[in-house]
Amino acid sequence: MLRLEGACADIAGVRVLREVSFSVPPGGRVALVGRNGAGKTTTLRALMGLVPLCAGSVAIDGQECGRLPAHGRARLGVGYAPEERKLFGSFTVRDNMLLPAEVLGLPKRESLRRLDAVFELLPELRDLAPRKAAGLSGGQGKMVALGRAMMVGTRAILLDEPLQGLAPALALRYVEALGRLRSALPDVAILVTESSPALLRRLVDTTFVIERGEISAA
Amino acid sequence: MSAWFVENGMLLGLATLDGVSSAASVFMVAVGLNLVFGVLRVLNVAHGSLYAIGGYAAASTSLFLLARGMPAWAALPLLLVSSAIVGGILGPPIERLLRLMQGQEEVLQLLVTFALFMILEDGQKLVWGVRPVVSDAPVKVLGTIEVPFGSDAIPFTAYQLLVLPGVALLTLAVLAFVLRRTLFGRMIVAVTVDREAARAMGIDAGRVTLLTFSAGAALAALGGALASPTTSLVPGIGASTIVLSFAVVATAGLGQIEGAALSAFMIGLGRSLAVYFAPELEVVVPYLIMVAVLLVRPQGLFGTLEARRI
Repeated sequence: MLRLEGACADIAGVRVLREVSFSVPPGGRVALVGRNGAGKTTTLRALMGLVPLCAGSVAIDGQECGRLPAHGRARLGVGYAPEERKLFGSFTVRDNMLLPAEVLGLPKRESLRRLDAVFELLPELRDLAPRKAAGLSGGQGKMVALGRAMMVGTRAILLDEPLQGLAPALALRYVEALGRLRSALPDVAILVTESSPALLRRLVDTTFVIERGEISAA
Repeated sequence: MSAWFVENGMLLGLATLDGVSSAASVFMVAVGLNLVFGVLRVLNVAHGSLYAIGGYAAASTSLFLLARGMPAWAALPLLLVSSAIVGGILGPPIERLLRLMQGQEEVLQLLVTFALFMILEDGQKLVWGVRPVVSDAPVKVLGTIEVPFGSDAIPFTAYQLLVLPGVALLTLAVLAFVLRRTLFGRMIVAVTVDREAARAMGIDAGRVTLLTFSAGAALAALGGALASPTTSLVPGIGASTIVLSFAVVATAGLGQIEGAALSAFMIGLGRSLAVYFAPELEVVVPYLIMVAVLLVRPQGLFGTLEARRI
């Protein structure tokens, strides 16, 4: 489903990814674990086309994405929840979640059906829906970002350090929600980054460790 | 006090009218500058050239066509058409150039857009020369309206009284509607707030930027076109307008559409009151207003401070 092959990337002249290769099969649950600055976020951004590769390749759903710009990758069914949540503060939670579906030009009915499906899996979002995203707490924001990624992530969902900075109780709720995703969306590949693997252990079937931009299977 | 009003009422009325009409055209420039800065993150000094070129283009096409039998009323819609053409022709290449400056140091951005401004200013002198261009057909065709004032009546031109503020208010309403109620507007907001997140949501940020830039360019051109019938076009109007619209944007706070309208009104009014009652202060009044506002609210009248990260 997702495949990185010998991917190298530089940020501001510093090599951040060194020949990173790994893949996530359809329906696979994969964790990418590493310390701060190891290259986890850059790996996800490279998959999304948000950082250019200086070598190597990205394939989504068997399609080479070398020249495909970021906005085209969302179109392939990849949902992305960045670490900083990046919600649009002046929009309501509902509008934040609907935005990617509308941008892809989904029919209104299909967008609303997906929104309902997300609410089924993440019921707390239903109550947050009419609120402005700017007023959310960190934990609520992470949940909304997950919901937003699910709106278009029909093939793969990328979650960047979703547990980072969450209070333990919230982190547990988030992990529970991921557990529900696991059974409700059996065909969707999920790639999660995290600095400590403990919380994700029972949710994923493969863990890769990334260290100074290089990957090793754990 | 009331005796002063009776004595100076006529002047006050004229000053208000002048203030409103200059505010209307500065608003068009400032709001475009705001939109463009939002999606591109480059402060475009050359935005003022679009105002000047918009004015010259409107005046000279209207003079050209009137001499060839165009009915006088058509000079009015021509203002809109010529501005759209200026925005459509000059917007895309300028956007392409400025996109190269994205993410560069601000000093460099300013220098490059200033250089572009000078090139466009000279281009404008090549095309239209340095002698004043005057085309007041749109003002004449609408005539004047006598507004009763005490025992007197003040003749206002209908163009300044109705058309200028009307077009500015309409622009404000359309922009507010597009930005809040349409998908394309939400895409503009998304790109403005966070370009990378917007792209990850499937938004073609390049296309949104190009279209927004061209719309902003057309608005600046329309600002110039609207002002052209009430003033004579001379070299240098681009520079004075861009500086004034910087003051408007800074006073309102970046990203504020309604705020830009209100601060354009404040500054336009302040300036024209100065013209009538303290002419020696005319040039400095807009900046006095700006400085006074920024001393109290550094983020501008309507700007919000960056939300603190928790």
